[in-house]
Amino acid sequence: MIDEKEFIQQLLDPKTQNSAFQKLLSDYQKPLYSHIRNIVLSHDDADDVLQNTFVKVFQHLKNFKGESKLFSWMYRIATNEALTFLNQKAKLNGITAEDLQNKTIDNLKADVYFDGDEIQIKLQKAIVTLPEKQQLVFKMKYFEELKYEEIAEILGTSVGALKASYHHAVKKIELYVTSN
Amino acid sequence: MKTFKLENEPKIKSGFTTPEHYFNDFSAKILEEINQTQTKVIPLYKRKKVWTTFAAAAVVVSLMIPIVNHYRSASNDLDAATLENYISYQSNINQYDLIQKLDDKDIQKLNSNIALEEETLEDILSSNPNIEHLITE
Repeated sequence: MIDEKEFIQQLLDPKTQNSAFQKLLSDYQKPLYSHIRNIVLSHDDADDVLQNTFVKVFQHLKNFKGESKLFSWMYRIATNEALTFLNQKAKLNGITAEDLQNKTIDNLKADVYFDGDEIQIKLQKAIVTLPEKQQLVFKMKYFEELKYEEIAEILGTSVGALKASYHHAVKKIELYVTSN
Repeated sequence: MKTFKLENEPKIKSGFTTPEHYFNDFSAKILEEINQTQTKVIPLYKRKKVWTTFAAAAVVVSLMIPIVNHYRSASNDLDAATLENYISYQSNINQYDLIQKLDDKDIQKLNSNIALEEETLEDILSSNPNIEHLITE
């Protein structure tokens, strides 16, 4: 595997840019898509946000200082883009982000790009009741199976705080599913 | 009611799927978009910016012409009254200083200006109550 600094140089050099960006896409498009889709829930929205994310990554690559890993930097951009998208969409519809997510979950059954049954829907409904940070931590740990260390780097929190967040999230979800 | 425990359940998948060939198509789409941004937008934007700056500067300069002219003409044309007032109240020049500065041409001019007709002179002398005083002086 090539050094990350060297890879960033390839991304910035017009001669190697195209092939380097192709590699970046093939490495990251699937995990970033999952990450975004878990936040915005619908495929069409995830597609929009993923596009914005890669365009932003490309535009800001020259300002990337290498203080964090490329991986966590891109996840951070994707997270911000997805959350901003959700809030803007909710505002446009004149409802809260939570109401918007509930509405989207109700529509999931009719979504051709959703292959789930009652338990998936119930789990999503339970997740929506959590605070934003706990939602993120739960989705990244449970669905995306990221390591605590990776999540800590992306969200800029300590591993200890993340473990506590995840623990609280699981407890609340179990309580919700049991009583609903 | 049975208590739900996440760890006791088989792993619940998110259930999210994508259209067929989505990621292949996505790569092609995004690469095309990025290449377009690189080749088109940047030079056009730069050139446009330079031209707009030039146009704005030209408009500002042309708008300033009447203002500059106004101030220039106003400051250069001191009217005679202002000059007279200044000399009589603000400076130490008295009539003797002025006389000293007069040359032959000026005196000729003055003479021609005060070349009065005899009738006028008579009128002035007869209507002036201090005539005797002036004569004795």
